[in-house]
Amino acid sequence: MAGLDLGVTRQAGQAFTPLGAAETFRLFVRLKLRLVAGNVRGDTARKLGFAFTLIVAAGVAVLGFVLLALLRIVPDRAVAADLGVVVFTVFLLGWTVVPLLAFGLDDTLDPAKLALLPLRTRQLMIGMFAGSVTGPWPLASLVIMAGAVIGLPGGVGGVLLGVVAVVLQFALCVVVSRLVTTSLSGVLRSRRGRDLLAVGMVFVVLAAQLPNLLVNRGVDGDLGAVLHDTAAVLRWTPPGMAAHAITDGGLVAVAELVFLALLVAGLAWLWIVALRAALVRPDASTQAATVRRTRGRGLAGLLPDGPLAAVVTKELKYARREPRGRVGWMAAVGVTVLLSFSFGGDDGPGGAFAAIGPAALGALMVGMQACNSFGIDGRSLWMNAVVHGSPRALRTDLAGRHLAVALIAVPLLTALAVISAVLAGDPLSAVPGALTAYGVLGVTLGTGAVTSVVFPYTVPERMNAFTGAAPGQGGIAFAGSFGAMIASGVLVLPVALPVLLGISWLSVLAVPYGAAVAWAGRRLGADLGYARLPDILEAVSKPS
Amino acid sequence: MADSVRTQGLFKRFGQQVAVGGVDLVVPKGSFAGLVGPNGAGKTTTLSMITGLLRPDGGLIEVEGVNVWRDPVLVKSRIGVLPEGLRLFERLSGRELLAYNGQLRGIPRDEVARRAEELLTVMDLLDSADKLVVDYSTGMRKKIGLAAALLHNPAVLFLDEPFEGVDPVSANTLVEVLRRYTASGSTVIFSSHVMDLVERLCDWVSVMSRGQIVAQGPLAEVRGERSLNQAFLDLVGAGRDSGEGEGLAWLGSTSA
Repeated sequence: MAGLDLGVTRQAGQAFTPLGAAETFRLFVRLKLRLVAGNVRGDTARKLGFAFTLIVAAGVAVLGFVLLALLRIVPDRAVAADLGVVVFTVFLLGWTVVPLLAFGLDDTLDPAKLALLPLRTRQLMIGMFAGSVTGPWPLASLVIMAGAVIGLPGGVGGVLLGVVAVVLQFALCVVVSRLVTTSLSGVLRSRRGRDLLAVGMVFVVLAAQLPNLLVNRGVDGDLGAVLHDTAAVLRWTPPGMAAHAITDGGLVAVAELVFLALLVAGLAWLWIVALRAALVRPDASTQAATVRRTRGRGLAGLLPDGPLAAVVTKELKYARREPRGRVGWMAAVGVTVLLSFSFGGDDGPGGAFAAIGPAALGALMVGMQACNSFGIDGRSLWMNAVVHGSPRALRTDLAGRHLAVALIAVPLLTALAVISAVLAGDPLSAVPGALTAYGVLGVTLGTGAVTSVVFPYTVPERMNAFTGAAPGQGGIAFAGSFGAMIASGVLVLPVALPVLLGISWLSVLAVPYGAAVAWAGRRLGADLGYARLPDILEAVSKPS
Repeated sequence: MADSVRTQGLFKRFGQQVAVGGVDLVVPKGSFAGLVGPNGAGKTTTLSMITGLLRPDGGLIEVEGVNVWRDPVLVKSRIGVLPEGLRLFERLSGRELLAYNGQLRGIPRDEVARRAEELLTVMDLLDSADKLVVDYSTGMRKKIGLAAALLHNPAVLFLDEPFEGVDPVSANTLVEVLRRYTASGSTVIFSSHVMDLVERLCDWVSVMSRGQIVAQGPLAEVRGERSLNQAFLDLVGAGRDSGEGEGLAWLGSTSA
């Protein structure tokens, strides 16, 4: 219990004096460093990964610091001030959202892990604060924001107040981020919460593409006006005030900083309350009563009884129930829509490309999900491995996975082909568009069957937006998806190229061609994969 | 008595570390066999290799007289496995998991449904049959795992720590089912470090320590006049000093 005194609970031995604030801070910084060190120990790939992170973080810190400092030489001071406001707001948003998406990367973030230690709430708070400011990225963001002290002020007062403002802004970032994760920690520990978050992540990643897209589509270029309007609103948010205080450097600035300090204190108090509640709240994850009745036999019921039907049924259920499956599908569709929009822009290649391109691209994106077919099965793949006694069994397994993907993808691609054909003003091109897309899907599934067995990797159960593979397997994942992408791209050319160039009757050949490549891919994949079954099992069962 | 499982010089290393260093495991047909050993003795590695889930670096494995790595189809159709760590298809319901497992093995759909229903009843899982496995408790997961392993009526059953984390009620159910199963002449091999349980259930024991079999045979022979627990401690060479007088003087309520 956090609030209990050591002296009360101990009968034997002397009562220890609780640690002071500074000692607690140092203790937790050391704990965090130990955790980081322990995480990379004995694993070269992780060591390299961490060294890479350090280098990137240092680079980003220096670059960001210099860029913000360079605001000093912007001739229009109003623009500099506006930029400062926007940057500070973005930092607060980043601090709020990123730890949520990456929840689980850091043991110091979960108060439940510390619940049994006799720490007072205040100590716990200092400790968690210390834990969350220790690390390459928090330090990098502090360094970057410090750049504003050089870039923004108009005088000595601005510099002096600027230091205070940056410290307060940093504290605000940390406290808000802690407050959000702590109040959501109960939800985040439950299965439903994590499922929801995993799916929500797709939207965040896609939303991050929005500005890019808007600029691509050419929102009539007056960026200055957009910036000014945005900053005029953001200036009254707490991070906006911090940035404004640095620029202003006068009495208004002092008032703003006092407000900011009070706000940080208030949020910290809320955080304590949330922390107290989180420590004694029961773990809700075991109470989820999800009763699902099996309705009929679905599409797979039409298949002849046997292993194929079993795999198809299971894969279709997984596409629906497993958050990683849903994320995969939503990401594939989202990326396709985004890219098609970019194609459709003024300077994109027009004609047949605009009509047929999106569906073919969609097929490639959907097919890429199959380039690590066994990844989502992960540790449970043993159940298949103890049954498969021949390459033939593995081939059936792969065929079932392909069939399941096709069952979802074909209607989706058909719709995509029709929509883009209509939008391009050539409804008839929907036919070659759809046929080409089916062919491309077949080709990607075929190459995917081979990469699935040659470059299998673990898809982490706890999704996070920054990596798609278990620690240390990033390289394999990259090789797998990149290899599948290139191989598919090359194999697709014989049918896709003539169709895109306008010889649309050739699309009739796309479907048999795609089916043939898919068949050959399964055959090769099964022969290679059967011999490697124990290795595949090991590769997809890494702790993540 | 013919051997159900026999290994010769089974060997596996991970990097520098030899996990299994020449194991000669013998389990007679129809026995309820316990594979015991301290943590890290190589029990899980041995079972994984015998069931074809991990490739051995050397040695011979025969199940029911058939070489595991030479005729995997035959062997895999005759063994049932419950691996450690409860790795199951989390997003299927218990009933769906059994259906999937049975159909994958080529058992007709209706037969699978019939057997699944009976297994769910015996395992006392009917109420939770339509819940997702991800929401199951440890005991329920072990039970559904065992049901999946029994579905195709295997001749030999391999269970890795089947009773770990299982409540007494569920454990009792598991034991009942397994007793019935071995009574018909089938073989069960399970790993455990709960000696009381092994002593109560098994008629055959293999003791592993540091990647090797240090004793093996009928329970009575291995145990001798001692309790199995004492025999085990003697065999694996655990120190008998209880640590008195070597520090820890501050521990306990009399010291203040």
